[in-house]
Amino acid sequence: MQSINVYIVKRLGQFFLVVFIGINIVFFVTHATPIDPVEYSIAAAASFGSTSPEAINMLRESLTELYGLQGGIWDQYLTFWKRIAVADFGPSVSAFPTPVSTLIGRAVPWTIGLLLTAIVISWVLGNLLGGLAGYYRESRILKAAGVIAMGLHPIPYYIVAFVLLIVFGYLWPVMPLGGGYQRNLAPGFNLAFVASVAKHSFLPALSLVLVGLGSWFMGMRALVSNIVTEDYVTYAELAGVERNRILTSYVMRNALVPQITGLAMSLGAIFNGAIITEQVFGYPGVGTLLVSAVHAGDYSLVLGITTISIIGVSAAVLIIDLLYPLLDPRMKAG
Amino acid sequence: MTAIASPAPGDVIAKPQREPVLVVSDLRAYYQTHYFGIVREVRAVDDISLHINPDEIYGLAGESSCGKTTLIKTIAGAIQPPLNVVGGSVRFNFGGAPLDVYASTPQARNAIRWRHLSYIMQGSMSVLNPVRRVRQSFIDFAFRHIGQPMPQFIDTIVAHLERLHLQANVLDAYPHELSGGMRQRVTIALATVCRPEFIIADEPTTALDVVVQKGVLAMIRGIQREIGSSMLFVTHDLAVHANLTDRLGIMYAGRIVEEGPTAEIFRAPKHPYTANLIHSLPRIGDTAPKKGLDGVPPNLAEPPPGCRFHPRCPLAMDICRRENPAMEPSGPGRRVACFAVTRGEPS
Repeated sequence: MQSINVYIVKRLGQFFLVVFIGINIVFFVTHATPIDPVEYSIAAAASFGSTSPEAINMLRESLTELYGLQGGIWDQYLTFWKRIAVADFGPSVSAFPTPVSTLIGRAVPWTIGLLLTAIVISWVLGNLLGGLAGYYRESRILKAAGVIAMGLHPIPYYIVAFVLLIVFGYLWPVMPLGGGYQRNLAPGFNLAFVASVAKHSFLPALSLVLVGLGSWFMGMRALVSNIVTEDYVTYAELAGVERNRILTSYVMRNALVPQITGLAMSLGAIFNGAIITEQVFGYPGVGTLLVSAVHAGDYSLVLGITTISIIGVSAAVLIIDLLYPLLDPRMKAG
Repeated sequence: MTAIASPAPGDVIAKPQREPVLVVSDLRAYYQTHYFGIVREVRAVDDISLHINPDEIYGLAGESSCGKTTLIKTIAGAIQPPLNVVGGSVRFNFGGAPLDVYASTPQARNAIRWRHLSYIMQGSMSVLNPVRRVRQSFIDFAFRHIGQPMPQFIDTIVAHLERLHLQANVLDAYPHELSGGMRQRVTIALATVCRPEFIIADEPTTALDVVVQKGVLAMIRGIQREIGSSMLFVTHDLAVHANLTDRLGIMYAGRIVEEGPTAEIFRAPKHPYTANLIHSLPRIGDTAPKKGLDGVPPNLAEPPPGCRFHPRCPLAMDICRRENPAMEPSGPGRRVACFAVTRGEPS
């Protein structure tokens, strides 16, 4: 019990250190960009008509304060951390004056909904099929599944996405071409809206599952092929333990430990959004938001998304690391 | 390779003993690989016949890669390609219920596992599932055979563990939390909890230090005597054989070359290989330097013609280079496969 507490404290310390260093890098990188958000906004505002120099000066002052850019770099740094603590990233440059946190808050549920579903489905299916294929090596159906998974895997993701879109959105138009939901529906928790969301996310999710499945499948199959030669599996076979039991409790149970780590990494990366997916399917998620923010030079929005993403990945890894001793009892020792 | 003087079942019945638990006749198991149309055969088990009586510990000795492990895998019916049985049979007889391992269905083979035939494996460090508690291994391996409801089943196991000086709390431990000796005792408990008629032990004490080894061997012997099972005990360590086994078979290059009561073999080895093996053992007070046998064991993919030992044999004769000596009776309860012994004219 003592060692487990030490382990938790160590991992928490690591988490805060990683987040701190990551956010520092974000701060200094964004401050090194040549785009000055204040001047950018003023230029945008001034283009609508002539403004008096006094008004522009006032605008510049209030914008500088809004973006947290007053004072020297050290003052800006302190302001930055104060604002991070309350999740305030200032107003968006491109969608001025909507706050960055509102924009991100709007996009995050879409991305989480889509990616969580797709990742969980491909992880479960890929591991299940991969485990079966590694254990029942003589099965023809599973061999065929292996060939399909290996065939799909090297196809670039955007090709899969476009093919799905062309086939099911254009040639045989059973699925919408893009968007997150039908435009004439008011977002709300009712059947029509939920059905529309499900329909719109089907193709993007399918494309992610098809591509994600292969790597889980092959990873699991390789792990299982190694584990079936372990002594404890041979021993259970000699003992006449049922094959299904050996597969689940002996083979898969041991192979899952590294696969769970992979799952955590994928889940953490959700906050980056699936940029290509969201672009191809016109999905209103974080990926789309990030791309438009980069295009628009929206300094505060990029900063906001990157910060959230750093915290997301680190938190996912932290949670999995804390759950690890439950998965693998040998971890308790170290 | 003809006329193997294997003890036909009839011979054994004639003795005042019960029927043997295991009869292996003319068993051949080769590793067969096919690459680009070229067939390669490694004759790891070549024409082996032996029988093991009830309540007997039969030792199998021989150097590394002589086919010991292949032989016991074949006996246990646990072979997978490229290892194939190409001839002979393995027949068990568990209290009047015969089972021909290679003429029965996988279901029939599975039905006897652990109930009648159990295994103590080499490398106890890794035979238990590392991510599950010891209790689960007992449940997976033995629950369906013992046929008791769970609380009584656990009581049975705890009582059995006590025989091996293990406390009930090892059931709640993970394998990595136990010491090597404890883990080996747990696997012995696991292999004996169903009171099987036949136990195969493959180098069970090799990874243990000598002190722990002594205790574990005494336990194996004690529990074997108590439940009256037969045992096939494999190790390259002759000292272990001398302490434990009733009868001993010496294996060389895929064949058994000599067999007999352990004490007799140690007292008067007949086959020149056995003789060299036994003379290589250190003795108290003996200060003469030990001389190893020249040469190395043959490659089993291309064994030498005739007797496989002849290139290293100090007694080799012409016939040894041409013909393979059969196992022939030589004295009470003993068999040996050597022309120099059975024809009695060492050159």
